Amino acid sequence: MRRVPAAEARRRALASLQVTARSLNEKYSLNAPARTPDPEWRNAVGRKLNLSSALLSLSVLADSGLEHYRGSFQNRLMYLPLAVSAATVAASLFGIADARAKSHAVRDGLYVLAGLTGATGLGFHGYNVMKRPGGLSWLNLFYAAPVGAPMALLLAGVLGRGAERIRDDEACTILGYPAGKALGLVTSAGLAGTVAEAGLLHFRGAFQNPGMFLPVVVPPAAAGLLTTAQFRPGNIMRRAAKLGLRLTALLGFAGVGFHAYGISRNMGGWRNWSQNILNGPPLPAPPSFTGLALAGLAALSLIERGSHD
Amino acid sequence: MHEYPEGQPVDFAIIGTGAGGGTLACKLAEYGFSVVAFDAGPYWRPLEDFASDEMHQSKLYWTDPRIVDGDNPIQLGANNSGKSVGGSTVHFAMVSLRFRPEWFKSRSQLGYAVDWPLDWREMWNYYTEVEQVLNISGPLRYPWGPKRPRYPYRPHELNAAALVLAEGAEALGIDWTPTPLATLSAPHGLAHPCVYRGMCVIGCSTNAKQSVLLTWLPRALTAGAEIRDLAMVGSIEHDHAGLATGVHYLRDGRWRFQRARNVVVAGYAIETPRLLLNSASAKFPDGLANSSGLVGKNLMVQSNQAVWGVMDREIRSYKGPPSLAITEHWNYTDEGKDFHGGYSYMSQGPLPIVWGTTQASKRGLWGQALLDAMENYNHQVGLKIVGETLPRERNRVTLSDERDQYGLRIPRVTYSFCDNDKRLIAHSLKFMRQALEVVDAHDIWDEDDDTCHLNGTARMGDDPASSVVNADCRCWDIPNLWICDGSVFPTVGGVNPSLTIQAIACRTADRIRAMARRGELPSL
Ligand SMILES: Cc1cc2nc3c(=O)[nH]c(=O)nc-3n(C[C@H](O)[C@H](O)[C@H](O)COP(=O)(O)OP(=O)(O)OC[C@H]3O[C@@H](n4cnc5c(N)ncnc54)[C@H](O)[C@@H]3O)c2cc1C
Ligand code: SF4
Repeated sequence: MRRVPAAEARRRALASLQVTARSLNEKYSLNAPARTPDPEWRNAVGRKLNLSSALLSLSVLADSGLEHYRGSFQNRLMYLPLAVSAATVAASLFGIADARAKSHAVRDGLYVLAGLTGATGLGFHGYNVMKRPGGLSWLNLFYAAPVGAPMALLLAGVLGRGAERIRDDEACTILGYPAGKALGLVTSAGLAGTVAEAGLLHFRGAFQNPGMFLPVVVPPAAAGLLTTAQFRPGNIMRRAAKLGLRLTALLGFAGVGFHAYGISRNMGGWRNWSQNILNGPPLPAPPSFTGLALAGLAALSLIERGSHD
Repeated sequence: MHEYPEGQPVDFAIIGTGAGGGTLACKLAEYGFSVVAFDAGPYWRPLEDFASDEMHQSKLYWTDPRIVDGDNPIQLGANNSGKSVGGSTVHFAMVSLRFRPEWFKSRSQLGYAVDWPLDWREMWNYYTEVEQVLNISGPLRYPWGPKRPRYPYRPHELNAAALVLAEGAEALGIDWTPTPLATLSAPHGLAHPCVYRGMCVIGCSTNAKQSVLLTWLPRALTAGAEIRDLAMVGSIEHDHAGLATGVHYLRDGRWRFQRARNVVVAGYAIETPRLLLNSASAKFPDGLANSSGLVGKNLMVQSNQAVWGVMDREIRSYKGPPSLAITEHWNYTDEGKDFHGGYSYMSQGPLPIVWGTTQASKRGLWGQALLDAMENYNHQVGLKIVGETLPRERNRVTLSDERDQYGLRIPRVTYSFCDNDKRLIAHSLKFMRQALEVVDAHDIWDEDDDTCHLNGTARMGDDPASSVVNADCRCWDIPNLWICDGSVFPTVGGVNPSLTIQAIACRTADRIRAMARRGELPSL
């Protein structure tokens, strides 16, 4: 066998590594040359995002419906999220059904409205916490208007806007950022907020059922993986993120079951449904996790296609 | 349930299954002792037996004939004693507070009354044990006193009446907190969480209330204890050597005798001394455990005065447990007082009949004026103290010559507030009035003569001459006779007593086990 000099061996090894790295880079890297996805594909991603907006706003519609009814609609503004989230559901359903690969002014406008309403709701709920005796205290965070709830509407708006932008923008960017990355960040932040909300309320319930730990374990893991997948490209990372997000999506549905069981543990159980549904735990809350997880999956598929400038 | 034959001596015959007796029965049974616990009241099943009806639920109260006198005769019954398996905790208000540490040494550290023979640090651990068992719902940070572990359950939402207390306290610059309560803010086991219907002081039909009936007693049964309900103990028997041998009790219309190696009296601060006095014999002519002459003496109520007012906005104070918010400011602050001791005050939620009665009997309203006041039921708010009273020998339980339905001599309960008690009450009324004025309540009036809780009458101490039992609740005179209930308190402090009674019972059980292991209890 011919002996290769050590220096030559190193050079060859390096070269082959470089080739592999380049091909990997081309395939996965955020800095890969733009391969403009076709409009069909962008529309498909848009519809995925519409679906997640639909779920989020449906959850808001049902949840704020219950909670604001429980609060006797003391303030007339308490009707607003119902109207806006209903409209957002409608807009999202329209988006899901729409085969045309471009945005729609009404949809777009409604999503802006949803976002604004969500942001205003955050303000109102925050004020509701602060105005009570004790101000920013555990007690008020537990029982005053839930600070995190309006965030779901804000997210429905933001994700919906994202859906529209992706349909229109061949380069697949949002506010100049690669859409996958931007949506991934929004989703991770949204998951973090939703986890905080579930964590707070489950803490209020003293984690009396071990199942109550699931939403503070699974979605944060998914959010963590999703964020990591954006910055550390790689197949394994993306697969792990996908798995985490799928589990989170499932958990959103399972949560409804858990909460239905929770309702049965109140005095009178489901026989006294008209009072106990109001008493909670809130049936419509967990699907926000599903909505966000779907957005995360859409973001992942964008990242996968390396679609950005 | 395990049943013990009467002829065979059990390790412990316990009289009373309330905060003291029920807790002790559980712990002793779990430590492997044979236990029969007697209660004059029935063994209720709240889900089936309790109605949301103030009149009907008076079946929970101890309303046997008693004679009351003194300058401030105590109104006995609903507000201070129960006759049920589970004792008064079946209809108590669930407020679960720890003593201020200094109160265990109020003579040496605060300069009044007497010291307890217990150390607060040891008690702190027993409080924790009880809080865990009762799944207390409490605040994450308690504003007063040394650090305590987190309550097992989170605090309940405040009702409007509690918010009034909070606003008043903030306006006057003192701390307040959601009250630590023995009712569930989330499900536990088979028990439902609280439904905030506010029937607590007539017995909770939801089973959210963590009474002795629902916490310690199921465990006691599992561990092999027998609870003998509808069994009124009339006297304790002893032998020539002066050791207790068992109890005579009336059940199913017949007097019976249960043999026992140890007897524990836990009938609360009136029935406990009454039973000891009623058990007098040739050997103990002044009653059992009474060589100090202190059995029945030093009865302490807690002052329970209130200031009431009307708010413009709707309050509906009867929604939810009655005392959802509390301030212990005047328990922990020693400045600005012209009296010894302390008081806490809490928000209130009286049920309609109690409220109507209060308006008529305490405020003197009648006819149209009463009707008009009742119209304001949904708008009324109140703040009420649990105030410390000082131990005085003249406040006491003795026997009268009259007899009750069991043929037993009935207790005479003599009570008068002392000047210090009156100064404390005056201070509290003035302060609470301000606390209502700053939140714009109007039609404010003082309810100045209510009392709650009963303690003392068989105090614990270090010296047989000045106490009835030692720190282990063991009688100085009769070594196999124990007293384990509110009677053993040397002082009462300004907090409701049940948590402390249960903590003492837990400690007593641990001490009994330790002494038994060391062979220091010859009867076992
Ligand atoms: C309306 C109300 C509200 C209250 N609210 C609170 C509160 O919020 N927080 C708090 O800490 N405390 C509260 N208390 C006080 C608390 O319930 C008592 O301090 C506590 O239960 C006393 O415990 P005990 O073991 O000494 O007596 P109890 O719990 O009263 O138990 C004594 C038992 O002994 C039985 N008994 C007595 N004599 C005999 C006999 N000779 N033979 C057989 N059985 C006998 C009785 O039937 C009774 O069941 C409240 C009490 C009442 C009445
Ligand atoms: S308010 Fe809660 S603790 Fe009181 S009676 Fe109702 S369920 Fe029971």
